[in-house]
Amino acid sequence: MNRRQLLSLLGISPALLAGAQANAAPAKTQTGAGEAAGDQKFIALSPKGTPPPVQRFPMAPTLKTLDGKTVYLVDTGFFGADLLLKQVADWFQHNMPSVKTVYRRKAGTYPTPDPALWKEIKDNGNAVIMAIGH
Amino acid sequence: MEKMGVPAVAMVTQAYVDLAHSTAAQRGMPTLRIAFTPHPVWGKTIPQLHALVDGSDPVTGKPLMKEIVGYLTAPLTPEDEKSGLFPVSAGPATFGPDTLENLQARFMNNGMTDFLPIIVPTEKAVNEMLKGTSHHPDEVVGHVGRGPADSYKYTVRQVAVNAVMAGCDPSYFPVVLAIASTGFLALGGSTTSFGYAMIINGPIRDKLNMNYGIGGLGPFAQPNATIGRAWTLMGKNLGPGAIPGQNYYGGQGNQLNYNNCVIVEDEKNSPWTPFHVQKGFKPEENVVSLFDGWDLRFGDGAKGAGAIYPKFDEQISSMFPTLTRMFNALVILDPLTAKALKEQGYDTKEKLTDWLWKNTTVSAKEYRESFLAYVWLYPRALKGEEPYATWWKLPDDARIPCWPKADDINLVVMGGQTNTFFQVGNMNYVRSVSIDKWM
Repeated sequence: MNRRQLLSLLGISPALLAGAQANAAPAKTQTGAGEAAGDQKFIALSPKGTPPPVQRFPMAPTLKTLDGKTVYLVDTGFFGADLLLKQVADWFQHNMPSVKTVYRRKAGTYPTPDPALWKEIKDNGNAVIMAIGH
Repeated sequence: MEKMGVPAVAMVTQAYVDLAHSTAAQRGMPTLRIAFTPHPVWGKTIPQLHALVDGSDPVTGKPLMKEIVGYLTAPLTPEDEKSGLFPVSAGPATFGPDTLENLQARFMNNGMTDFLPIIVPTEKAVNEMLKGTSHHPDEVVGHVGRGPADSYKYTVRQVAVNAVMAGCDPSYFPVVLAIASTGFLALGGSTTSFGYAMIINGPIRDKLNMNYGIGGLGPFAQPNATIGRAWTLMGKNLGPGAIPGQNYYGGQGNQLNYNNCVIVEDEKNSPWTPFHVQKGFKPEENVVSLFDGWDLRFGDGAKGAGAIYPKFDEQISSMFPTLTRMFNALVILDPLTAKALKEQGYDTKEKLTDWLWKNTTVSAKEYRESFLAYVWLYPRALKGEEPYATWWKLPDDARIPCWPKADDINLVVMGGQTNTFFQVGNMNYVRSVSIDKWM
């Protein structure tokens, strides 16, 4: 992933990169068709804060197969997630019956972590499907 | 879970594609496997959800469940296995040299404004603003994010740029710095469209000629207008920002966001203790207190219109059940209304909030069926947090207060005494900070 893509993913307009390239050139008086001679020019400061570096970590090893594995279905608490994950569980039951699914509703509000559940999944599960962002 | 070695797939509705990917990238997982569903999921019937799960990911076009199984079983790519610290730039430190008109357009076209004309933050203008504080321009004022190592940070100078853009005078700058120091920036990305408010207390109100009289909440004083506006611009610029469809999802937006609700308390004409003193500050300290929530709504005078003793307390109480339980109450009383309440017997703010809390109740059934109580408070009930855990088990017809405690109701006095009115905000108190520190 290049820097432009990462910046874009971080919500930083790649248009700012265009600005960086322009500012890298020495300042010159710009005149041209339609621009009045003598228009005063200014430098404006950026209002942006300084973003943190991104600490990237490797993804967890994937499984060779889900057959015989335990997949946790974690409900984050948004309306409808429980019903949706019930359908996901039903899909596994009909299409991959060797997969064991375990439904859990995450404790706390949707953005708060649930360390007890994470430990349970780590100890007893092989994979997680977490739903739903709205 | 990925950090713990358990492969995971996130299911997200397709309205949040950019947010899901950008959040994953910010958390160090740009290749996190995300499966998208049609939007919304809630409100769908069982047959509709069955069809959804049997259907395709609307973003990739692939069969949803096969895609999820594939995500959990496909071998990792070299990109998946990358690790390390990657610096991220916020872009150029300056723009130009260019004409003021072009700079104005550039700021607007790059999402750095509220789409109203700004004062272009030239070096001269920013240097003038910096004279409003004794703090060094490179001093870090605050952070916004999940923790110091994972947060945006911003300096006195960067805050000054936003204050210039908002049209603040340098004398207002310590207030803006105090707000910035909290790390609590306006323009949160919730789909419910948050609004924000502040209360200003202390002698600085008169020093800056802030308006707490007629039209105090309206467009009638430069400090009220521009300090509030600076909070919004800081929300746009100092942290991850508020980019619609990327990290701002307020479905309808909130009118308060233009310059927030700046409430300057009329300490002289209030019959009660000033708000900042209630929060433990000395009367002579200059303090700004921040709130978040949704909205303000007008109270309809008092119950018993035409009576010798109109019931303002009952009128205020009648509005509380219409507020969401996710946020508390902020009641803004004109001094005339506050004085009338004192004559009714409420010689302290606490007496009134205590009465309001005890006498404003809803049924347990109504409480449980409210959307945001289910999404926001039910999970806390499941964790055993009181009183939510007990409230959730009560019979349908049991009566419970709107909020857990009387302190969840905040009162402030402001207005021009032209009428006995009040407004009620569905707002949470966040915190109060010293302005004096930033002089």
